[in-house]
Amino acid sequence: MGRKILLIEDDKETASYLVRGLGEEGHGVEHVADGRDGLFRATDGSFDLVILDRMVPGLDGLGLLKAMRAAKVETPVLILSALASVTDRIEGLESGSDDYLVKPFSFGELLARVNALLRRGEGKSAPDLRILVGDLEIEPLSRVVKRAGKVIDLKPREYRLLEYLARNEGRVVTRTMLLEQVWDYHFDPGTNVIDVHVSRLRRKLEEGFERPILHTVRGAGYRLAATA
Amino acid sequence: MRLPTTLRVGLLAALLAFLSSAALIGFIHWRTYDDSVDAVHQQVVEQASALDDVYSSGGRRALDKAMADTLAAGDPQLLVAIFAANGAPRIGNVGALLNPPVKLRSGYRVGRVRRRDTAATTGAAYLLRHLDDGEWLLTGRSLGERLQFQRILEGSLGLALAISVLLGLLCGLIIARYVGSRVADMADVADRIAGGDLAQRVPLSGSRDSFDGLAQQINRMLDRMAALMEELRLLTDSLAHDLRSPVGRLRARVEAALAAEDEKRRDVLLAGVLQEADSLMRILTTVLEIGRSEAMASRKQFAPLDPEGLIDELAEMYEPIAEEAGCALTVEAESGLPIFTGHRQLVAQTLSNLLDNALHYARQGREVVLFARVRDGRLRLGVADRGPGIAPADQAEARRRFGRLDSSRSTGGAGLGLALAEAVAHLHGGELELVDNAPGLRAVLVLPLAPPSPTVAVRA
Repeated sequence: MGRKILLIEDDKETASYLVRGLGEEGHGVEHVADGRDGLFRATDGSFDLVILDRMVPGLDGLGLLKAMRAAKVETPVLILSALASVTDRIEGLESGSDDYLVKPFSFGELLARVNALLRRGEGKSAPDLRILVGDLEIEPLSRVVKRAGKVIDLKPREYRLLEYLARNEGRVVTRTMLLEQVWDYHFDPGTNVIDVHVSRLRRKLEEGFERPILHTVRGAGYRLAATA
Repeated sequence: MRLPTTLRVGLLAALLAFLSSAALIGFIHWRTYDDSVDAVHQQVVEQASALDDVYSSGGRRALDKAMADTLAAGDPQLLVAIFAANGAPRIGNVGALLNPPVKLRSGYRVGRVRRRDTAATTGAAYLLRHLDDGEWLLTGRSLGERLQFQRILEGSLGLALAISVLLGLLCGLIIARYVGSRVADMADVADRIAGGDLAQRVPLSGSRDSFDGLAQQINRMLDRMAALMEELRLLTDSLAHDLRSPVGRLRARVEAALAAEDEKRRDVLLAGVLQEADSLMRILTTVLEIGRSEAMASRKQFAPLDPEGLIDELAEMYEPIAEEAGCALTVEAESGLPIFTGHRQLVAQTLSNLLDNALHYARQGREVVLFARVRDGRLRLGVADRGPGIAPADQAEARRRFGRLDSSRSTGGAGLGLALAEAVAHLHGGELELVDNAPGLRAVLVLPLAPPSPTVAVRA
């Protein structure tokens, strides 16, 4: 289902690339190149997501974000920025954005994050008492995980990893998203840390079962789904 | 612009000398002044006007008689006399005006006179008046010693004030010239540095005064700046050099992909291109991270951190990696470690880099230890491995950005890990220790427990 996205970005090439790419995914993208126009459009509240370049002419991106939040516009915001240091990223997140992506980025990474933010904006206010993915059953309150009725014993971090994947059921989740959301680390640990953890989780979930449930999406990340 | 400064200082000193002397002199005057001089002036004027009246109503004859009467009254202070036009005394008790010999001139005056009756000289206040026939009438009163002293004092005080202003001006000019020449030395150096000669340093006078102190501080600052410039130059050089190989690989893969006939082969090559691009981005991000840390820009994100929680988290993250690498990762955390103030992301990133290195270099089956302890009031967070280690001679090279060690430790990475670790240590006001683990390497972040001061730490 297509959603309405406001793109505030002054770089024409990036903007047209995003408008085209997100359009192909079925989203309606409105593009403005100036911070003041962006703030004006964002405050009318009809968007499901705002993608904001941190350095747009007219109004500084973080300033725009603060003004938006001050006007009680709670639309999820994804910041795009060439400011890549950990400090910059933390500053961006602490100023009220929901996600921060450093330029240059892969479209797959952006899309995965956009989808995760749109899902979060779907208005699931009450926490799920039970998440079902095929024959996999997760109870967030007791943190009990069962597959086909058989209890699977997970370590706390493995549970959080699984819960995050399950809440994004059917959608691609990238390695950096897992690192940020599950570990709260905003740096690149270099080695294949995430891959090793995911494959451990996969072993626990799939051992003794025929159908795979935790899929690797080549060049993008992982997807938890009952069907490939 | 320097001369006016000298002049200004001189004038300021003169003004200060004037003000302080004036205050002092005013005080002396106030303590010694006595209005009897004024009273004498008054008496003299009254006396003179009485004789004037006699003269204008009765003429010279009546004046003579009045003078004789007055003298006969026997007032010892009273002075009256008539002089001829050439100054010779005619009648009365004053013989001559002295000290210096005064020409006859009308008006009130204070000076010395010789008495005709006793032939003694005395200080006197007197009034001279021209009579119609060319003669002069003197009326006055002799002054006591105290009054005379007071007159002298008043004169001296005025003179002293003038001298003090002159001396003040002189001192001011001398001080200004001295200060000016010391400052001019520094200004010269600054000029020459601005002109591009960064090797210039402010000369010291050797007197260890505050000017020398200032000069030393400026020189230290210049040394630090020169070191940073040198570091920056090295970094730029090595960045330009070290980016050549990944960019070269990138280029080669793109070329190969363009030439590939087979679609599957092209996809594989393009995936490699992506990988190379990502690794380039990682290098750039790390260089940026080091720069930000060295510039102390990240201190505003400092927060209280629990060292034990921090290393437990990392151990949990790396435990499966260690297992795959066939190493045993153990955690050694002292109990009751204190909370410290730091940047969670950067400290975690540093330790994760150190762990990554250690697991990379540790030999199969050997152990890697992640530890946290307190020694000498400083928190020591680090990783110990049983790999080949770093020889003491190679340590400086290992810490350098893009520093590459030959043989054992140059297999992977862009040589930024330890440089980042050192930058993060400095950001926290601490240091990175590289110690022989006999065998292997102990890389330790040594961090002060008290939060670092907000001022930028200057490292020599």
